[in-house]
Amino acid sequence: MSRSAFLDLARPSRRHWLGYLLLAPAVLLIGLIIVYPVFVSVDLSFQNVNIARLDQPRRPFTTLNYERLFASEDFWNACWVTFKLVTIVSFFCFLLGLSTALLVNNRFKGQALARLLVALPWAVPEVIAVVIFAWMFDSSFGLMNWVFIKLGLVDTTINWFSSPPASFAVVCVVMVWKGYPFVSIMMLAGLQSIPEDFYNAARVDGASAWQRLINITIPSLMPVLGVTLVLVMLWVFRDFSIIYVLTGGGPLKATQSLSIMTYEQAFGFFKMGYASAIGVITLIVCVIASRLMISRAPDNI
Amino acid sequence: MKRSSRDSIILYATVVLTCAVLVFPIYWLVITALSEPDQLRQLPPKFWPDHPRWGVFGQILAERPILLWLGNSALAAIGAVTLSMVVSVLAGYSLSRFKVRGGPSLGLFILTAKMLPATLLVIPLFGIFRQLELIGSLWSIILAHATLIIPFTTWMLKGYFDTIPRELEQAAMVDGCSPLGAMFRVILPVSAPGLAATALYGFVLSWSDYAYARTFLTNAQGNWTANLGITTMKGEYVSNWSDISAASILVALPILLIYLFLERYLVGGLTAGAEK
Repeated sequence: MSRSAFLDLARPSRRHWLGYLLLAPAVLLIGLIIVYPVFVSVDLSFQNVNIARLDQPRRPFTTLNYERLFASEDFWNACWVTFKLVTIVSFFCFLLGLSTALLVNNRFKGQALARLLVALPWAVPEVIAVVIFAWMFDSSFGLMNWVFIKLGLVDTTINWFSSPPASFAVVCVVMVWKGYPFVSIMMLAGLQSIPEDFYNAARVDGASAWQRLINITIPSLMPVLGVTLVLVMLWVFRDFSIIYVLTGGGPLKATQSLSIMTYEQAFGFFKMGYASAIGVITLIVCVIASRLMISRAPDNI
Repeated sequence: MKRSSRDSIILYATVVLTCAVLVFPIYWLVITALSEPDQLRQLPPKFWPDHPRWGVFGQILAERPILLWLGNSALAAIGAVTLSMVVSVLAGYSLSRFKVRGGPSLGLFILTAKMLPATLLVIPLFGIFRQLELIGSLWSIILAHATLIIPFTTWMLKGYFDTIPRELEQAAMVDGCSPLGAMFRVILPVSAPGLAATALYGFVLSWSDYAYARTFLTNAQGNWTANLGITTMKGEYVSNWSDISAASILVALPILLIYLFLERYLVGGLTAGAEK
């Protein structure tokens, strides 16, 4: 008999040792660099440790880190900052992403170029995006102060990075600029999967452009919209680089999200156990959110 | 659909205006790099410098260790991508073709791993790498970046293999190929575009990292990556925005070029695993 009978890849029940063998390196590596570290970090969160030294004996089990965390004003402040960030940034990412996608989904000459340009910020590394906006919002010679004064919005220059609400706003601007292209790209993919016939039929029935948007486009995009929303929210929730490089969490903790607080506690104050406790809480939020997304995701996008 | 010429003009105006506003920050980065530092301290700002200093890139390469940073970023990215691709190609193929006990739940687990916060993982990895004496070495971020890349690439590749008809392997095996031979000699060559797009996507992920480099490499100047180097320039007492911008362009350039090539495949990468 030929080997194809021995391993028929087209048959639905194709259990074979080769399948396990091919998975083995991934399982091993993921176990070593993802699963084991997550366990270490959960373990650390239940110990009163400052510096993570794995060669020393384990400290006694304690829930002190979590007790201190829930009693800490900083933690609730970070939760609030994170909540505000996730809400505001996701909302504007969607507004901008959806409208740019609808715009360049029209057929016109130069459409390919317009699509390329609209999603271009996706290709700018986060740290570089921060450099760009840190300079644009520079307090003395930045472009934005000049523009704001020219437009008559303010009388004097704003010191963007020493005022808590102003620096929060700048963080939002950078994150929206970095985040909307993702929404735009996803929405464009979704728009292309809507059959042209739907629109033709609606046109025959005399539906206006607005009615077509509300009754065909948005409902057809719903499944993609849901997944994209969760992915954007998770990205904002977890993001570290933009805030850390732009403001470091300041001024007065106005931009200190949970990620920044985790990092500060771990590598600023070397309270690894305490930091792990915050990390574990963010982990739980992320896992719940991604599970929600997976269970609702459409079969294919 | 026919459009009236008035509608066309409105459409074009909106498109041009939108693109101009959204791309303006990148334009401003270029203008800042090309302006003399003195000129940047004048108001009103100049939207095109009087004497663009095109030599700024050569000058910044000579004055700052940017080539070293770019080289370190490239080494880390190539290392992390190679490691990730080897395990992901095998795992993606297995998840796509074989029925393995626990396979679907492994897939789900990998998907969840994509959502792990780096700020959580960085703490235990710091402890582990210190024990292995990897802190300060590029190996630390190669391994750390693999945690970012593997979940993406495995799902991207599984999705890609799913689109390749099974009949290809069957035909090869009828012709006397072993299952492994069919995979290596038939499926992988056919998948070359998908493999390339996936690898480039992984490269972007590694190149863009800041958190791990900041944590593991801050005290090892010789191993600084590009992003880490840029932030140290930004942190200097008197920020020379002109030089920082020039350096930033050099750092962003590889990713911008990859984006131009990758645009068609981007959706696959971004949604990898978003579907079940």
